Amino acid sequence: MREATGKPGRATDGAATARLALRAQGIHKAFPGARALHDVDFDLLAGEVHGLVGQNGAGKSTLVKVITGAYDADAGVVEAFGEVRHGNPRARQRSGIAAIYQELTIVPEMSAAANVFLGRPHRRGLFVSRSVTHRAFEQLTTRLGLTIDPDARAGSLSVANQQMLELMRALAADHRILIMDEPSASLGPAEREHLHETIRRLREAGVATVYVSHNLGEVLALCDRVSVMRDGELVATEPADRWTRERLVTAMLGHVVQEPRSKPRRRADAAQEALRVEGLCVPGVLDDISFTLGRGEILGLGGLVGSGRTELLRALAGANAEAHGRLFVRGQQRPWPRTVRSALALGIALAPEDRQSQGLVLSMSAGANVSLSDMQTVASGPVLPERRRLRRAAEILAPLAFDATRLREPASSFSGGNQQKLVVGKWLHRRPDVLLMDEFLRGIDVGAKAELLAVVMRLAAEGMSVILVSSELEELVEGADRVLVLARGRLVGEVDHAGASVERILRLAFDVANPAGQGPAS
Amino acid sequence: MTASPTAQQPRPRLAEKAVYYGAALLRTYGIVLALVVLVAVVAGSSPGFATSTNIANLFSQWAPAGIMAVAMTFVILTGGFDLSIASGFSLCAITAAGLGRTEAPAVAFLAALGVGLAIGLVNGVLVAGAKINPFITTIGTGFILNGIALVATGNVAYVVDDPGFGTIGAGRWHGFPYSGMVLVVCLVVGGVVLAKTVYGQSVYAVGGNAEASRLSGIRVGATVGSAYVLSGLSMGVAGIITASQLNSAQANIDPDVVFDVITIVVLGGTSLAGGVGSMWRTAVGLGIIATVSNAFSLADVNPYYQDIVKGCIIVGALAFDVYVRRLAGRARARAAGPTA
Repeated sequence: MREATGKPGRATDGAATARLALRAQGIHKAFPGARALHDVDFDLLAGEVHGLVGQNGAGKSTLVKVITGAYDADAGVVEAFGEVRHGNPRARQRSGIAAIYQELTIVPEMSAAANVFLGRPHRRGLFVSRSVTHRAFEQLTTRLGLTIDPDARAGSLSVANQQMLELMRALAADHRILIMDEPSASLGPAEREHLHETIRRLREAGVATVYVSHNLGEVLALCDRVSVMRDGELVATEPADRWTRERLVTAMLGHVVQEPRSKPRRRADAAQEALRVEGLCVPGVLDDISFTLGRGEILGLGGLVGSGRTELLRALAGANAEAHGRLFVRGQQRPWPRTVRSALALGIALAPEDRQSQGLVLSMSAGANVSLSDMQTVASGPVLPERRRLRRAAEILAPLAFDATRLREPASSFSGGNQQKLVVGKWLHRRPDVLLMDEFLRGIDVGAKAELLAVVMRLAAEGMSVILVSSELEELVEGADRVLVLARGRLVGEVDHAGASVERILRLAFDVANPAGQGPAS
Repeated sequence: MTASPTAQQPRPRLAEKAVYYGAALLRTYGIVLALVVLVAVVAGSSPGFATSTNIANLFSQWAPAGIMAVAMTFVILTGGFDLSIASGFSLCAITAAGLGRTEAPAVAFLAALGVGLAIGLVNGVLVAGAKINPFITTIGTGFILNGIALVATGNVAYVVDDPGFGTIGAGRWHGFPYSGMVLVVCLVVGGVVLAKTVYGQSVYAVGGNAEASRLSGIRVGATVGSAYVLSGLSMGVAGIITASQLNSAQANIDPDVVFDVITIVVLGGTSLAGGVGSMWRTAVGLGIIATVSNAFSLADVNPYYQDIVKGCIIVGALAFDVYVRRLAGRARARAAGPTA
């Protein structure tokens, strides 16, 4: 363990240690092939709202999960109110830490009051007492300045009010530490303001809050201190009034190296249009998106989590029946694809975000997965000769350095990188004109990443157009000919390869995140 | 998949490797071993078992359930269930016998197949098209079909006098029953279709991961629906054979057949979760169930004990599978080290 002094994340004020609500020290956490947290120290004071910001994948969510106990740290200690915490989330919840995630844990069929006192009902003898429950519920609503009908079915309440139920649940259990992960992402401006007001009230009552958000304006306005994470480390903690949005972004990026692009891009065919999208809308998610994609172009799609990148790809791939807009394929207008099969008929294929739940049939062999999208081409009539199928799969996977002797093993027995090679192999087999790749380098070791990126480059050189979504912006900057930036369902900017940098993309993505209230309604 | 990046893996001990590979083999082929042992034991203790007459009779007796188990294998592989087969198969038998009284056997049999096809189409459309839970759908259609059978017949048996009507069910070629041949053909064709065709691979894919299949351009709904159509057709074939064997048919011919059929498929090792299994497993499951029930009748034990034993076998087999799987998992974690 290294010396604590001078490390960010630590409360420097000696007197403050008395009011320490939570202290995490020397936290390390690694996932197979990736380091998630490295020697993180994090302090939370009683009666403090502590902002936690960073790029996607910087380690915020992992830190939150270590604190709540959803993950066990590989090394390091978490103390709450001076006591070391270990064990499962339930044990830790009893210890006074409550976490509220973007996905709420409301039981929609139960009443609002029942949800608040879930697991700790007010009883009279053997029975749940309605009157005592209602009284306790009203005390809480008064305290938070809310008006919620205790008998309302929780599922019928607005998302904001459901969130308030979770807050009330934490208060009812007398939790002194509250962790909120992107709580405002699904809220409108007025609701967001109300949430802030509620958090301030809780602060008055001595509750300590960790507030994780991408919305920098909101963080600066609400929080007392803000910590910045980058690449699994906590790089800076300072009082909010000493931060500006500019400085936060710079801290998230680290030292930005403005290296000149290594190789000039081939944009030979970009003049030839592969795809043109006009006015794409997905109700509540995407708003009036228009862009073109050249033949053989690699188009990057940048933006924060929840900005609509995945939905854009799914809409193009025919996986979202609510999508509407005008689609031109090689200059000809086509009806917007409503099914995956119709998108495939237009030559558009999607390599989805979650390879395990959407990309692969884990119970089938590696070879079977590679031919899954294109069984007809290796079949003779209805018959699918296994040997021909394996030979073809081996040919396709050869440039990906995939061990062809393992093609008969089930897809579930492979590592993340090898599984992703199977997903890519599946589409190499089919050879679509336009390949949409969603977070396809996530959770993959460096070597496999390089191999996969090289394959994408080669495909593009051969004329396939690629749309690449990645939260790791360095990859976009490195790999894409052009990067479009999405924020809150809108296209907010475009940078070409020469001008692309992680910083420019992030500034575009974050600038719309402010002021706090902007964004599509709902 | 829990590869520790730093920890040095000790070389796996030979014994651990043996446990791992032994458990894997046992998991895959243990059921075959069970059948072999069972047949040996029964053949040893009952001289009447291993005779050509007895074996031929077994094929004839189990042909209807076996044929429906072939189709049920498809249904269960897609992750579904067909509980309507007992009443569906009764209705098909009634159709065959009812028409067989006045029409030519061929006409009666075609009509029975048509009824089976219609039942399968309805189930398929409800499950794959309307996306109603297959369990609920087929319980519901099962009730409806049973009701139709009762209303149509007034719960009276239709008896057929035409001697040609009984050929399929009772006819034999060198002592081997035609019905048994139909069963073998269904098993072989079903097995080849599952293992060797584009359609069969789609069945596995859809049952293994419907979303990944959809995103790969496989017709998920059509594939799932087709399995129920196959099941409906199998009710037709099974109904024809049964009516022909009995030269008669009535409602509720064999209400328990649905449990026999599901037991056959699951006992063989096809997963109820879908996506994992195969036709040879169904053949082995059929062999076990047929041998067990035959052993009881040969030993002249109170047939009611049979159900108790059948129940113990299926629960025991699944418990054994869970145990071996856990053993294999533990051995793998120790022996194999980090997976690539």
